[in-house]
Amino acid sequence: MSLDPVQVMKGQDPLPKTCPSASNGDSKASWDDNKDIHENVGSTKKPKPGPVRRARKVEGGIFFPKPENAVTIAVSSRVLFRTEKEQKVFEQKGIEEYLRYQVEHENEPFAPGPAFPFVKALEAVNSQLRKLYPDSEELFDIVLVTYNHAHVGIRLINTINYHNLFIERFCMTGGSSPIGYLKAWHTNLYLSADTEKVQEALAEGIAAATMFMSEKQIEVSETQLRVAFDGDAVLFSDESERIFKAHGLDKFFEHERENENTLLDHGPLKGFLEVLGKLQKKFYAKGHRLDCPIRTYLVTARSAASSGIRALKTLRAWGLETDEALFLAGAPKGPMLEKIRPHIYFDDQMFHVEGAVEMGAIAAHVPYGIAQKYPHKKSTNTGK
Amino acid sequence: MEDEKNHTGPLMIALQYNDLFDLDSISAMTASTNTDDAVPKDRAVTFIKAVQIVNERLVEQNKTESLLFEVILIAKECSEEIKMNIVESVKYYGLEIVKIFFCKKEELINTLQLNNVKLFLSTDKDDVYEVLHIGIPAAVLYEQSDDHVLNQLKVIFSGDVIGFSEDSLDSLSDFGFSETQIETFKEAKICMKEFAVLIGQMRRKFGQENSPLCICVLTAWGSTNVCASALKTLREWGLDVDEAFCLAGAPCSPILAVVKPHILWDGGLHNMRDLSAHS
Repeated sequence: MSLDPVQVMKGQDPLPKTCPSASNGDSKASWDDNKDIHENVGSTKKPKPGPVRRARKVEGGIFFPKPENAVTIAVSSRVLFRTEKEQKVFEQKGIEEYLRYQVEHENEPFAPGPAFPFVKALEAVNSQLRKLYPDSEELFDIVLVTYNHAHVGIRLINTINYHNLFIERFCMTGGSSPIGYLKAWHTNLYLSADTEKVQEALAEGIAAATMFMSEKQIEVSETQLRVAFDGDAVLFSDESERIFKAHGLDKFFEHERENENTLLDHGPLKGFLEVLGKLQKKFYAKGHRLDCPIRTYLVTARSAASSGIRALKTLRAWGLETDEALFLAGAPKGPMLEKIRPHIYFDDQMFHVEGAVEMGAIAAHVPYGIAQKYPHKKSTNTGK
Repeated sequence: MEDEKNHTGPLMIALQYNDLFDLDSISAMTASTNTDDAVPKDRAVTFIKAVQIVNERLVEQNKTESLLFEVILIAKECSEEIKMNIVESVKYYGLEIVKIFFCKKEELINTLQLNNVKLFLSTDKDDVYEVLHIGIPAAVLYEQSDDHVLNQLKVIFSGDVIGFSEDSLDSLSDFGFSETQIETFKEAKICMKEFAVLIGQMRRKFGQENSPLCICVLTAWGSTNVCASALKTLREWGLDVDEAFCLAGAPCSPILAVVKPHILWDGGLHNMRDLSAHS
């Protein structure tokens, strides 16, 4: 393993490089600016050394952005990889045995988990963004945030290398709550297998969802990131859900009609759609509207002719749009998702998530709003 | 106390009096006022209390345990009044301080060496850097912004210093680090090893959960492989790590604010003010 001082390959030379010549474009000016910013970051105990800050050259001119500039996606180890076996050891035999098992199997990489295709798609978008905007920090930044102990660290790092993932940032909290770290990383989206942690994150205003592994997996695109959202209680508040649950379908329609011109309140994933939109506009600006590597979908049980109008008006008022809006008027979502093949689909109702996962679509549950208290019963799922 | 110690213990940590006591409260004193006016600073007190908890738990397990923490206080250039005050205040606030040394500024290093101090803690990073340079283990006593006492002593090791190989450390000269700085990093690594071995012995006496000692590794700008290398190295030295963080250049302070360490070993890496000349 030779150290090539110029071409820093991941896994070889661990040094961060200054890139006065490489992808970082203008040298002096931007460095000094950034240095000032760094020194102004509070009375930090660790002022960053000037030239060796965060510019790193990994596999040709890639550097890691400042968390507040990037779209930060925090994933837990249980959704990025498959760790069912290890989970069982933990549940049945306790933590000491679990850690021993992990260390023993340190050199065996984990298999990809439910969030893996999503993360790979994010990296694909990043490489396109880097080509078009080599100096920009507006990229996806993936951070592994796990409450595993650092004992498992070496196995996780080996797995990251094995699958060729560009993840250089992580927090292994050794059992303490990861929520504080999510905020420190300016997290835009948190994916975990643990509903409680996800609910905590949502309570702190961080978009979050739980993911589940399924045996069946439909193929997803490797070049275009596809993100699908449910409407109510995901992009929008659960206001209308509440009416529906309390007073039934007719009241719901009436309410929507009367309030057609009143904006819906925002839901937990609105912010994430917003940042996706910002990145999309960067592609449009360079003439990539038709073949944009990011595509968003609204998949709602609302109906286009009636209740859907309020949803669209709200989105427009927010300055947001989705590439496609699918109004199902109560029809099952599964077949639609199979067509779309999203890398991730956000829904607040477990019933829909389970249905999607059964069909092999990648779905994530957003435990927000009234649907959590009154889980849907299969027979009453009529149109909205 | 002296006879119970064998060659493995105690783990002596040195604090400076101006880190422990609020200087303003000291200088406001006159000979005629009460002697219990020197007010201890929160961050030092939380550290001492955390150390006490570790000691208590160690003794719980083994009454004749010799590998315990011992905190000594070093006071440079003090008047007689202040000396008295310090002694009184230590007693008054019930701070477990084994010895107090009064010395001149130049005698600091000597005092540390003579007393086999295993760790010099200071809030002043220049002091830390100077002491490290001579080969005495030194780390930063980190600011605890909250008042609350964690019931755990948290130590952070620098993944960068431990994880980089000798060659990589040498090649740092390409990035504007001076010879002296590079030498200091290498010294820091050796010092960290000494301390890590001792702390590792302590850590192993507790299980994964409910341990009064929490060991963390923070890699500020090395890659995940540097971090992996640091974890493996620490394991070789007998120290198992509880929490690990890899920042890849992201600002440290937001993360440190969540971790809330007491002891921060950064090897002098982050005290690089001269580097501004190189950018």
